[in-house]
Amino acid sequence: MLDPYKVREDFPILKRKINNHNLIYFDNAATSQKPRQVIEAIEDFYTNHNANVHRAVHTLSQEASELYEGAHEEVAKFINAKNMAETIFVRGTTEATNLVAYAWGLRSLKRGDEVVLSLMEHHSNIVPWELLSKIIGFNVKYADVNADGTLNYEDFESKFSSKTKMACVGHVSNVNGVVNDVKHLVKVAHENGALILVDGAQSVPHLPVDVKDLDVDFLAFSGHKMLGPTGIGVLYGKEEILEKMEPFHGGGEMIKEVSFNPATGRCRITWNDLPWRFEAGTPDISGGVGLMEAVKYLKKIGMQNVKEHEEMLTEYTVKYMRECEKIKIYGPKDLSAKCGIIPFTVEDLSSHDVALFLDNCGIMIRSGLHCAQPLHQIFKLQSSARASFYIYNTREEIDRFMEVLKEITQI
Amino acid sequence: MSRIPLPYNPKVLELFKNPKNLGKMEDATVTAVAGNPACGDMITFYLKINDQSIIEKASFESYGCAANIATSSIVTEMIKGMKLEDAWTKVTWKSVTEEVGGLPSVKFHCGILAVGALKRAIRKYCQNRGISPHWLQKELTFEEKQALEEEELAKMLAKRMKLEAEK
Repeated sequence: MLDPYKVREDFPILKRKINNHNLIYFDNAATSQKPRQVIEAIEDFYTNHNANVHRAVHTLSQEASELYEGAHEEVAKFINAKNMAETIFVRGTTEATNLVAYAWGLRSLKRGDEVVLSLMEHHSNIVPWELLSKIIGFNVKYADVNADGTLNYEDFESKFSSKTKMACVGHVSNVNGVVNDVKHLVKVAHENGALILVDGAQSVPHLPVDVKDLDVDFLAFSGHKMLGPTGIGVLYGKEEILEKMEPFHGGGEMIKEVSFNPATGRCRITWNDLPWRFEAGTPDISGGVGLMEAVKYLKKIGMQNVKEHEEMLTEYTVKYMRECEKIKIYGPKDLSAKCGIIPFTVEDLSSHDVALFLDNCGIMIRSGLHCAQPLHQIFKLQSSARASFYIYNTREEIDRFMEVLKEITQI
Repeated sequence: MSRIPLPYNPKVLELFKNPKNLGKMEDATVTAVAGNPACGDMITFYLKINDQSIIEKASFESYGCAANIATSSIVTEMIKGMKLEDAWTKVTWKSVTEEVGGLPSVKFHCGILAVGALKRAIRKYCQNRGISPHWLQKELTFEEKQALEEEELAKMLAKRMKLEAEK
């Protein structure tokens, strides 16, 4: 069991007052807060070990390299990857999906090929493929979503054909917290001879995720949603697939050798080993160090405990909200298929007003379209308010949130 | 009375709950729209203007937040019986914000949009009548420009949305 009160002691920001109220942070699907362990690890890096990685023989560079490689190893173990060759550090989920689109898609997709997505995707999993399809001319097909916000599995299967080369799906929806049966989706993709990229931005921070068990080809996620700093994220890829891929960005760090051949007048380049081949330029070393600390923190708590804590909070909130007839919740009735994300609207109030009223009482939630407009179209919604939880949230906070929310419905 | 502190003052909340001049006007001389549902707020203004260029009545329809409804409501009250010239020169987003007793800064744009719709209606009326009074500046006012900017943004979003939905 997770003790959120003990966890809270590690998060300095939670001591802040907003408009003279205790801060209640329910916008965790956007980004998580950071424990002092992560903040201190970054400070320690710059205070004691700062140097560039993989270049120099001096002590500091050795230390920085060890830390940065150690971060890869830690992340690899966290998602049960084979080794750190399979974990590429990127800026975040968006860069990870773009990496797959350009480093893999640009060379592997042809005119007439097909890529299957779903209508519940975050824009970061839609836009790269739409952009690339304009260059190459492949087709993008969208699997439908049911009225309750769950994926229509039959429709997903029906979108596959012999032309399908890639499927991209979110593990957990950032709008309604629906958890997709990734194992099943992977099976469907592989049976149809396609690869699958899973957007794990909302799953890796909140559930145990095992890439071997799921058998995904690619998994993308962001550090900042899982207690780490912004600007660092991860692309997991199966080693045998990554080995065959050409680089994404060119520059330092990603090459083994660049030799000038006077006979041809050109440079001959051999690529570096994995994962460095895909990390051109000086990487976000301190970001990697912070992410390593975040992963260690989550490991200590245990991802199963994280999941259960959020499930408890979600169930508690939904039960509370259902008692209030002016509040409408979107998403599946069955909460077992759901993570700690609750989209809702308040009768006669714009979602931006709901967020503004709550903010006045120190409660931070998100309002708007949450970077997933297609899903809002399906719900026929202009916008929604969204509360999302994490390890430091308590039932007491939800009591206060509901107290304020009920007052808002009376306005 | 609410037991929680509120971001809006009582006047805004009262206008939000009981807006004045809400609804379509069948015999309007001119109507104008500002905003877009995708950006959160959309207002339609209806004006009845007589031959002496006096606004006899005004009404509005709003799809938006409390600030938007309150400012639109107060604009229709402010301009009733006003000469077009006065409505054009004296009603600004600042005077409207002041009239509702102030707004949270994140909500200023809602009042700007309401005044943008009013100015559009007046400009449209003059164009329809083929008149160009000396007080009607050729370049867009601040409020009209802001309304346009919000709509452009919404259009961009809608285009992307359409692109995604069609596929």
